[in-house]
Amino acid sequence: MAVVGSILFAFYAVAAVVVMGVFQWPLSLVLLGSVLFVGVQYKIGKWMALRSVGAEDLPEERAPDLHRRVESHARDMRIDKPRLMVAQMGVPNAFAVGRKGAGTVVVSEELLQTLDDDELEGVLAHELAHIANRDVVMMVLGQGVASIVAIVAQWVVLMTGDNDIADFFLAIVVGQLTQLLVMVFVFAISRYREYVADSDAASAIGSGEPLARALEKISRGAERRDTEIDSQVNALCIFGDGGGIAKLLSTHPPVEKRIERLRQ
Amino acid sequence: MADVRTLLAVALGALLGVLCLVAPEAIVRAQTAGRRPDGRGGEYGADAVATRWRRLVQVVGVGCLLVAAYVASTAL
Repeated sequence: MAVVGSILFAFYAVAAVVVMGVFQWPLSLVLLGSVLFVGVQYKIGKWMALRSVGAEDLPEERAPDLHRRVESHARDMRIDKPRLMVAQMGVPNAFAVGRKGAGTVVVSEELLQTLDDDELEGVLAHELAHIANRDVVMMVLGQGVASIVAIVAQWVVLMTGDNDIADFFLAIVVGQLTQLLVMVFVFAISRYREYVADSDAASAIGSGEPLARALEKISRGAERRDTEIDSQVNALCIFGDGGGIAKLLSTHPPVEKRIERLRQ
Repeated sequence: MADVRTLLAVALGALLGVLCLVAPEAIVRAQTAGRRPDGRGGEYGADAVATRWRRLVQVVGVGCLLVAAYVASTAL
């Protein structure tokens, strides 16, 4: 992971040097601009995530046991108890947003209905581990670096060209491909962090079995739905089968591997 | 004869177009990871992307191929 992190830093350093050279910006301005860019992405991202699913607070009276377990695990992981929210997402799902002192965990109504209390605890412990390990912030930072490098690459192409249609097109294409390339490294970190969050969740609740069961239950349900909905779409996607390149461009490791590791 | 930048525009544009057509999920994830919660189009622990986003990226891919073909036809 240190190697992948260094590569990401190298991408950012090259972009920063180009901005300093081309626009004559001092280093302090480049750093300030980068922090502002990532900060705005973080703030907007958190707000958008909660708004897009219509998340509402999960009242303590509705799920007192769940609140108690989350509070206990949060204490063990040395983070403030995150805000617990619930949303209608149409599928069993959960995600965490925010940072250690101001985290939020959202669970879907479908997840609450699908899992038993222990399995739900496993899922929540995994999400708490993401907050404790600053994974949400790390992903925002990774996306920020990818976006900055892509924007710089785009501008370099634009500023060195003749401003004809081929140049505009080349700038857009180079920006997109650069972002994809940098994100390959961010995805690698993300997959690694998923395993770490699984391991931390297993340590927190004393066993990996509840989370393994939860993943198994959810993926079995997903397989049934996938065969009904997505057969024609998957026919168009050569990466849809979870093969080598699909793994490279995934934020999560394969569910089977996670279950296997949780049970080891 | 077309210059190097025009050739690059055609080649990379076609590459991006093909990528959008065959791997729309990767393109969506590259844009949304860190900005939106994971697995919004699918289940917990999965890496799914909603069908409508995949379709949109595939349409953009066709657009890329068309622009690449236009640039090629005017320059070559």
